Amino acid sequence: MSAGVGVDLENIWIRFGDFVAVRDANVNINGGDFFSFLGPSGCGKTTILRAVSGFLEPSEGNVLIGGQNMQGFGPNKRPTALIFQNLALFPLMKVWENITFSLEIKGASSAERRKRADELLDMIALPGQGDKLPSELSGGQKQRVAIARALCAEPDVLLLDEPLSALDLKLRQHMRTELREIQQRVGITFIYITHDQGEALTMSDDIAVMKAGVIDQIADGRTIYNDPSTAFCASFVGENNVFRGKVKKVSGDHAMISTNRSGDLMARISTANQGKMKEGDDAMMFIRPEALALAPEGAQGDHFVTAQVTNEEFEGNSFNIFMEGDGGKEIKVSLPNLGQSFDSHRGQPMTLEYEVDNAVVVPAGELATE
Amino acid sequence: MPGFLKEFFNRNGIGMGSLMLGLVLFWTIGLIILPQLSILDFSFRPNLPPPEYGGPKDVYTLENYRYLVFGPEGGGQDYNSVDLRVFFRTLVAAVCVTLFNLILCYPIAYYLGQNKGNHMRIFALMLIIPYWINEILRAFALRIIFGESGVLNTVLMGLGVFDTPFDFIRNDIALYAGLGYAYILLMIFPIYNVIESLDRNQIEAARDMGASWPMIHKRVVIPYAKPGISSGCTMVFMLSAGALAAPQILGGPSSLWFTQLIYQQFNDNNDWPQGAAYAIVLLAVCILFVLAVMRMFKVNMGDIGK
Amino acid sequence: MNNSAIRISIWIYLAIFFAYLLGPLVIMSVTAFNSSEFPRATPWECLTFEWFSALFQDERILNGIKNSIIIGFGTIVLSVSMGLAGALMLTQIWPKLRATYYTIIIAPILIPGVVLGISTLVFWDRVNRMLGLGADSFLSSGLFLTVIGQSTFIASYCMLVLVARLQRYEIVQTEAALDLGATHAQAFRKVMLPFMRPAIASAAVLAFLASFENYNTTTFTFGEYPTLTIELAQKVRYGITPAISALAFIIVVLTVFAAVANEANIKRKELAAAARRGETTVGQVSGGGIRLPRFLAGNSAAVLLVILCIGTITVVGTATAYSPDQCVADIREQKRLEADERIQELRRKRDEENIRKFKGVFDPEDIAPEEEAAPATGGNDSGFGGVFDPNALSGQEESEAPSTEGNDSGFGGVFDPNSLSSE
Repeated sequence: MSAGVGVDLENIWIRFGDFVAVRDANVNINGGDFFSFLGPSGCGKTTILRAVSGFLEPSEGNVLIGGQNMQGFGPNKRPTALIFQNLALFPLMKVWENITFSLEIKGASSAERRKRADELLDMIALPGQGDKLPSELSGGQKQRVAIARALCAEPDVLLLDEPLSALDLKLRQHMRTELREIQQRVGITFIYITHDQGEALTMSDDIAVMKAGVIDQIADGRTIYNDPSTAFCASFVGENNVFRGKVKKVSGDHAMISTNRSGDLMARISTANQGKMKEGDDAMMFIRPEALALAPEGAQGDHFVTAQVTNEEFEGNSFNIFMEGDGGKEIKVSLPNLGQSFDSHRGQPMTLEYEVDNAVVVPAGELATE
Repeated sequence: MPGFLKEFFNRNGIGMGSLMLGLVLFWTIGLIILPQLSILDFSFRPNLPPPEYGGPKDVYTLENYRYLVFGPEGGGQDYNSVDLRVFFRTLVAAVCVTLFNLILCYPIAYYLGQNKGNHMRIFALMLIIPYWINEILRAFALRIIFGESGVLNTVLMGLGVFDTPFDFIRNDIALYAGLGYAYILLMIFPIYNVIESLDRNQIEAARDMGASWPMIHKRVVIPYAKPGISSGCTMVFMLSAGALAAPQILGGPSSLWFTQLIYQQFNDNNDWPQGAAYAIVLLAVCILFVLAVMRMFKVNMGDIGK
Repeated sequence: MNNSAIRISIWIYLAIFFAYLLGPLVIMSVTAFNSSEFPRATPWECLTFEWFSALFQDERILNGIKNSIIIGFGTIVLSVSMGLAGALMLTQIWPKLRATYYTIIIAPILIPGVVLGISTLVFWDRVNRMLGLGADSFLSSGLFLTVIGQSTFIASYCMLVLVARLQRYEIVQTEAALDLGATHAQAFRKVMLPFMRPAIASAAVLAFLASFENYNTTTFTFGEYPTLTIELAQKVRYGITPAISALAFIIVVLTVFAAVANEANIKRKELAAAARRGETTVGQVSGGGIRLPRFLAGNSAAVLLVILCIGTITVVGTATAYSPDQCVADIREQKRLEADERIQELRRKRDEENIRKFKGVFDPEDIAPEEEAAPATGGNDSGFGGVFDPNALSGQEESEAPSTEGNDSGFGGVFDPNSLSSE
């Protein structure tokens, strides 16, 4: 894979009047990476993208592309190409004219443009569709045309602003794979904006999780999933069961949490918070639904949870059990369907166990709202 | 450079941004604000020959406005009854024309707005075509009809209604018909636009509950069409009160329209400041009328002009 | 039943309404073909086309048309560009200022045209003086003042038309173009302008029409450049002739043409869109029993357009061949007889009165009012001056008689070499 051009955000602040949209963002994106900004809508991720593409100047801080400071460079002077959320294909231009718009700007001849358009149409698997209007294409086809149009400009960095959000589920999953393939083929840096953690996890080399203008964590998908640094990351990425409480005892990487309802439980302190938590701190402990397993009835200890079963459902590849949880939230348990028999416990108490290293403790904080 | 200006140029580019800003400033300041301020200023000055502009006699005075109310100094009259009568007659007549138009056009606008089909397009065309014909020619057409030996007199005399030709022009009937005629489309269009968006089901529902047609209009259609009605009334009033061509062509020789007084001050008396003062009075009354209508119908500026 | 009564009354209302709306135009058009010196439909005298040739020989009308076109184009350029800039500004102005700004740019629609004309005149006169320019400078020329004065409010109309389209424009389109390397000017020209083109075309047509027919503003600003409307107004105010009806007829026909052509075009696009949607529709359209040209198939407006064209060609053809001489002569003879009769009757009356007066007490106070009243009974109480007076009429006719002889072909008169020499 070619080295590609890296993007660095240094101490970026973006304010609109009194409102702070982005707060002190520091990100280093390696050349040739597929990098995602993940966060709920309104968290400032699109604002960051607009700062990178040059549509707005950060109030403070610098955007560096390939080590060069981009301050004062308009969007048409930056080596970036943006794929807009609604794609922004030019409705009055034919597909081939859309794709080669950047060449038209450079004054390329019509024949040259047609040739390049045909190459790109082949690449996006839409051969011979160049003479259609965008309105005559399906959603997925438009998507690919938008990608081809951006790639035609031969950018060093491709920026994608939730480009899959308008597609239906099937197509979305298909396009994930396709985007990843295209990225690996062209070898340029992709910066991807999404609120869909599935997209972020499947495609990205690295992910930045954002909340209300602040970047909570930057890491690869596995790290963010297994070792979240904040309560928000833990609750936003993937499903998670939260147990609130106070730190009772810290021993090395682990901590004993006295939870509000489930007694004292032992868990691993997440890497980013090791050495920072002390006795008496408000804390949150997270255990993934798939990290919980059935335990013998009545078993007790610092890695057992007992609670009333409120609901059960069968989801094909798993049984889901919902139990009365902490603070109004349910505890969800996901047991893989391996053909085993399963007795209903609805309305009865049930005991579960987990491996201590699979439970993560972070300082108490805001949870993501579904 | 202030922040918002910088952002503006970032967004539009230096060249395009300057062009756009320049055009907008030229329009708003050079064509709208400054000329209006300048006739306001002018209306407070005495009528002087150009060499004396800025001279010792060029002082602010209320004389031009005083003239409208009290007439020429030492004129022997308490009030300038001629001009004042013209002024109030213009306003009253403009209000009457507006009401006449509203009553005439509301049913048509309702009918066009609530019916769909191919013949609606023909109706629309038939509505728009007269509006494309020159205002002068429309007045001329009515003059042919209302003239002493015009079609109307021929028909009425043929029917035995009159035995001698009736002078529609001297009696101002031609003028009112002409003013109403000229602005029909401006009344129909706003009302039509609003009524077209009225859900037919609302009317069906009201009928279903046993409401009579007058009731349906009073309680459902008219309240809904209020922005359109106020917009149409405003336009028709302003244009009638400010009309010049129709009164000049269709007005009787003895009765004047207020705009004709302004015209005379400018073209015949060569008293520009006096004309400017009259124009300011006309403008002020029109603005007051618009504000009153907007208050009465509880609509805002954005609805007018649609 | 009740329902049908309502329906009938609706149709009657519609009929009356459209009669009010279209009747005057029809009657005015008809008067263009009546040989009567005064524009009227009744009594019908002779079918004539002479008013059209009179129209085309009227220097002032032709000059007015020329000025109107020059001013119209100036107004299109200025008001469409100001309207577009104003509309663009409206979409991105600081929200707190938006209401004020909107009020300012919409105000010219509500300001009486007379006031706009005056303010333009007064303001630019002042600017002219401040710059120390003479009375013949460009800034005080009627051409400049009229374009400026008209554009003040026509730009507001254009702005309204353009803003409606602009609301459907996605600003990301421009951003996408910029992102792909276009300059702001390129993005405007290649992306926004094509999108706005239909609205710009409508705004331009609207601007031209508004400029062409504007009277209230122009009447204060035109200076040395009277537009067609100004010329018309002067003609109509100081004595009317059927030549104006002829002009009106031409304008009506052009307007109907434009409206129908526009309608046909819309219909054609609709049909094309329908055909594109489903192949079956194409089959139905082309597989009909009667093979109409594609352009006409299912498009009643287009059919009407063709009929109109044929009608116009027929009328113009007839006009060049038709000669109303005989009829005009007959009517003139008839009128002369009537006039003679009337004159004789008048004489008889006067004689009778004279006899009465001689018989009565010889009182000078009695004679004066009588003498004033006498011509009034001759038909001159109309307030139109001498136009109604049959004597005046016949006098005019006699004086015009020689020129009509060399110029009998209506439209054809323009191309008649004799008409040049006879004028």
